[in-house]
Amino acid sequence: MSLNSSSRSATSNSNSKRSVTSNSNSNPSTSGNNSCRNNDKRNRKRKTDQNQKTLGMAWGANSRSSSRSAFRNSPFPDFGSYMVMKNQKLHQQFDADASSSSVSGACSGKPIFDGVSIFVDGYTVPSSQVMPNSEELKGYMLKYGGRFENYFSRHHVTHIICSNLPDSKIKNLRSFSGGLPVVKPTWVLESVAANKLLSWIPYQLDQLASETKKQPKLSAFGFKSGPVLDDLEESISGQAVPQSGIATLRTSCSLEANIFGKAECTEEVEECHSVSDDPFHPNAAESADQAPTYCMENHCEVELDAAVVVQSDAGYHSHISPCQDPKSDHNDCLEDHIIEESSSSKTIRPSTTGHSTLSDANFVENYFKFSRLHFIGTWRNRYRKRFLSSANGFKDMNPSRNAFATSQKTTIIHVDMDCFFVSVVIRKHSDLKDKPVAVCHSDNSRGTAEISSANYPARNHGVKAGMFIRDAKALCPQLVILPYNFDAYEEVADQFYDILHKHCNKVQAVSCDEAFIDVTDLRVEDPELFARAIRTEIHETTGCTASAGIAGSMLMARVATRIAKPDGLCYIPSEKVDDYLHELPVKALPGIGHVLEEKLKKKQINTCGQLRLISKESLQKDFGVKTGDMLWNFSRGIDNRLVGVFQESKSIGADVNWGVRFNDLNDMKDFLLKLCKEVSLRLQGCGLKGRTITLKIKKRRSDAGEPVKYMGCGDCENLSRSVTLPMATDDVDVFQRITAQLFGYFHIDARDIRGAGLQASKLESADRNMRGHEKYSIRSWLVSSPARKSSMAKGKGDQLYSDIGPPVQARGSFSGGEAYVAHRATLPALHDLDVGVIESLPPEVLSEINDLYAGELISFISKKKEKNAGNNVMDEEQSLSNPLVPPNKDFVHNVAEKIKSSEKEDEQYINKMIQGLPETSGSVTALLPETDSLMPSSLSQVDSSVLQQLPEELLADVLESLPAHRRPDFMSNDVYLDHIRDQTGAIDFLPSNNLWVGNPPRWVDNFRLSSCQLLNRIAVLYNKSSPRGQFSSVLQLIMSEYPLDDGGDDAVNCLCELMKQYIKLKIETDVEEIYTCSCLLRRLTSRSELFLQVYNCIIPHLQAAVGETYGGDLNICFIE
Amino acid sequence: MERKDNNQAKAPQGEAARILTEFLEVAITCIIFLKGVYPHGAFERRRYMNVVVHRARHPQLRDYIHSSVNGLLPFIQKGLVERVVVIFFDNEDFPIERFVFKVNLNLSYGSKVEQSDLEFSLRSFLIKLPVSESLTKLLPRGCRWEITAYFRALPEASTSKDSELIWIPTDTKQWQQPPLITPIKSMNSEPLGVQLYLEHPSLSEPKP
Repeated sequence: MSLNSSSRSATSNSNSKRSVTSNSNSNPSTSGNNSCRNNDKRNRKRKTDQNQKTLGMAWGANSRSSSRSAFRNSPFPDFGSYMVMKNQKLHQQFDADASSSSVSGACSGKPIFDGVSIFVDGYTVPSSQVMPNSEELKGYMLKYGGRFENYFSRHHVTHIICSNLPDSKIKNLRSFSGGLPVVKPTWVLESVAANKLLSWIPYQLDQLASETKKQPKLSAFGFKSGPVLDDLEESISGQAVPQSGIATLRTSCSLEANIFGKAECTEEVEECHSVSDDPFHPNAAESADQAPTYCMENHCEVELDAAVVVQSDAGYHSHISPCQDPKSDHNDCLEDHIIEESSSSKTIRPSTTGHSTLSDANFVENYFKFSRLHFIGTWRNRYRKRFLSSANGFKDMNPSRNAFATSQKTTIIHVDMDCFFVSVVIRKHSDLKDKPVAVCHSDNSRGTAEISSANYPARNHGVKAGMFIRDAKALCPQLVILPYNFDAYEEVADQFYDILHKHCNKVQAVSCDEAFIDVTDLRVEDPELFARAIRTEIHETTGCTASAGIAGSMLMARVATRIAKPDGLCYIPSEKVDDYLHELPVKALPGIGHVLEEKLKKKQINTCGQLRLISKESLQKDFGVKTGDMLWNFSRGIDNRLVGVFQESKSIGADVNWGVRFNDLNDMKDFLLKLCKEVSLRLQGCGLKGRTITLKIKKRRSDAGEPVKYMGCGDCENLSRSVTLPMATDDVDVFQRITAQLFGYFHIDARDIRGAGLQASKLESADRNMRGHEKYSIRSWLVSSPARKSSMAKGKGDQLYSDIGPPVQARGSFSGGEAYVAHRATLPALHDLDVGVIESLPPEVLSEINDLYAGELISFISKKKEKNAGNNVMDEEQSLSNPLVPPNKDFVHNVAEKIKSSEKEDEQYINKMIQGLPETSGSVTALLPETDSLMPSSLSQVDSSVLQQLPEELLADVLESLPAHRRPDFMSNDVYLDHIRDQTGAIDFLPSNNLWVGNPPRWVDNFRLSSCQLLNRIAVLYNKSSPRGQFSSVLQLIMSEYPLDDGGDDAVNCLCELMKQYIKLKIETDVEEIYTCSCLLRRLTSRSELFLQVYNCIIPHLQAAVGETYGGDLNICFIE
Repeated sequence: MERKDNNQAKAPQGEAARILTEFLEVAITCIIFLKGVYPHGAFERRRYMNVVVHRARHPQLRDYIHSSVNGLLPFIQKGLVERVVVIFFDNEDFPIERFVFKVNLNLSYGSKVEQSDLEFSLRSFLIKLPVSESLTKLLPRGCRWEITAYFRALPEASTSKDSELIWIPTDTKQWQQPPLITPIKSMNSEPLGVQLYLEHPSLSEPKP
């Protein structure tokens, strides 16, 4: 029986077919076909086969749209429910078959298809002896533990089996396959023959696989392998991949590209392929033997991602909701992945407009994830965090060293890894050691990617960093191109520095692969031997080679390394410095770049020897005092720099000058916001704040065409503007405001922008600004709770502080103290303390603080008193701005004590809060909605007695501000269960709870904690909206947002519920507001699928409400 | 009666009601002006609540609006009046358009009414009204209009002679279908909430 015959006619004959199946009669026309197996089984199968439909039909079943008339008389209310029933029955039958066949045991095999669920579609060549028809496939699936789906469902089916596809389906693969692999039936056969699950990739449908190679999207690689791959991986790891590691990697790359090329329309992919079209997983396998598995992993990922893209393109967002209940494990994982990836998939959608990579909402994020320069740039912070303690160790020794400097001959070793970025990647591939290898972010067919690093064999061919791949390949056809492996870089760099720090405590890091060490103090007998030992250890530990240069200064050590490279050691004793320098090109000196080199060349100076002939004065005259001085010194090998402290970064920023294309200003604004976020995150990561904000723009020159480098910046004008703020900041909103302002100054066409960078300089430590950080203070927390509570608390607060000092001061001090406790910072400097407050402290507290300051406090106070006799005002100011309470637990206790004595019961909760503070400092700060990261992981971390003492309302606030996903943690805690019960309803958006209660209304917090970005955004917009509390003003702001990213079903439900409650709230008193909201919502529908759904959901409800209250229908179509 | 009214006027609701009736008188005149039932020359520009409004020149028109709205004052004070509607009829006495003032007076409101606050809120109606002309329908020739008040409940006849003032129309033609509502302005402050919206016949309304 041909599957084809039934499925082909599905759409046209659906009525007649349905009548056949609903009567459950056998179809005589097909019964003659059967030749084997028992009749009863055949009948069932025939039935299923008759019901086999094309995908279009199967989906039609879900949509209920297909003619209902045929079902008027059937027992089922509609076609949809009929299909549900039918599918259920078919599953039962299949299960029954499966169990009977396994019980009979005669032919049941190893369950190799466990977790695999196939759906047979299209033409499966029934007549051919080689190809199995769907009947046989079903048999195999039965036998080997797989599942066979009669109807396509993205949630059940894992593979689509077919041997041929019509062109229309090829062209529209996304809607056809839902992104699932489309595999030839031989896959099943050969898997059975091999008695294990083979990778489906080689069995991909020819029509798909033969498609021209395309660059995959960045977003395809931006996530880690999830559980979905585990089972696949397992099956694959046993399977031999008959190529060397690298070769496999490359084939996989092309295959992936194929998948992608298929999934996307031709143009699109090229346009959309993103920053780093790196086809490899960022966490690449560390070793060659892992490579095959790893590349398979990649396959799956890409495929999955393609799936997601496909789904979102096809508009099946609703399927991506997490509330699905997938049947098989495999699907479960798939589902996970889809959810995980849904954000990036969403972003791909706008790319159908044929726009640049900017349509990727995570562009900035991904850009930096895959940028080597970014890796180098941010490595510094990593190093600082990791080795700062040891670096501090020798900071103190520096002065003493200076004293010795003249008398003692310094010995400095410069260690530099050899072609770090390549050798780390190939360190475990011994076969590649002597082959030319280059590292590049992408190996696409166009060859327009730039090589970022090449090893020495490649350099011998003339391959250089910065070359286009196609040029490099012309020079060296056998060149192997590999992707970055940032994790490995990090690992090796850490090992590298571990070794250096082990041998010497004076290490100055230059870069992730390069450092100076000063071994003078170690009094090493033979520095060469010492350097050799380090080099050997580096080689043994990391598998990569390093070169070392030894000399008396940093300059000469660097020059020595240059000579030593590759994999060598060079020692330049002081007496030989002149010889080495004489012929050294000036370019080799640090600090001499292109510009300076050109200038020197114009003066016929090419070597250091020539440079030495010029007097210092003349150099200073020509190049400026500093540069001239430097040139004069360097050309003589004089370098007074010390191997010193780790240099603090002077600015922190983010630049993007690749893949930047905008259609209009909105794109640019959106992009700037992301840049602001990135910079803000980086600042926060370093614990710094910037005072000067600089915006740099690369503007395409009017005569410049499309750059040679794909999506590169090309010939650009560099524009830059900066502004200095009175207060250092790391706040996204501030950045956003200022960059918008700065950008406004440029008056630039968004289409001409080819790059943008945002820098924060004049950095200050964030700790120093802590006093301004109200969000960490308990006071702001109290204020943020509803007004009546806060006023009560504040009023009390003022009272109780008044006996410590003036209210304002005291409150400032209190918040400061709290902040310090929370951050475990050090004592504030003595001069930061406010004498007035200190004096008014009770004597025992004072003595304690005095102890902390090693007795200096008392004398300080008396000194201060004398000084302050005249200028009390100054002092007042100072006290206002400075935190003055040391982070002493006892102190906090004493404050609590104090409170107790001043006011009794009403104070108790504050009191308790404070007492609980030392233990639960994290959790108390965490009560602030802004400081999510500080949230306790569960309520168990919070002092229970504190919570018990809290008044009902305050407790509600506390519980509510815990992130949603953490809430279940304490659900088990019986003590709170009752309170929580009141609360959880609101969190789950149960209709019974009023989302509009409170100020800000409850939904704002709920939305803020939601996982959906759109909802988060709306919560933010609420705070910006004015007049506050009117949802129309929020919608108004949403109107100006661009782009509107879609959320899942949950977001729709949340918004619907919110709107419904809002209508309920306002319908009596403010129909105008409701009307405005619905008009705005209507306008939003054209922009976003999500709002269309919300609108459609809300309107019937709205009309009903209006009808009830006003006896009419709201005239929504009146205004367009 | 006079004394009683004075007492009521002293209560916050009384004060609010007084402001409301004054406002309604002006607003209704504005609607009539806006709809162009009479030539523009029949109105003169005045300032009310610091907004330019129009006042009928013709004493009869002025009196009609004034007396009908002021007749409502005692009922408004008691919170009986739910809606005050300006209805425009075509020449067959079929309603074409209705301007509805939905009034909501909170009788349990105790504190003093800030006249300036209330006026500020009401003023927005007078600002919004002239710009809402595009929402309204063009009136055919030969139309007429009237002011009708809808009560929450009929006042008991015996309580006062006020009820004698009530005329209940009996032969009005009504829309068969629920009308289409176009809100113009809403205001909700204590103790008074006023909403102004338009009612038009539904599209499925059978034509007379």
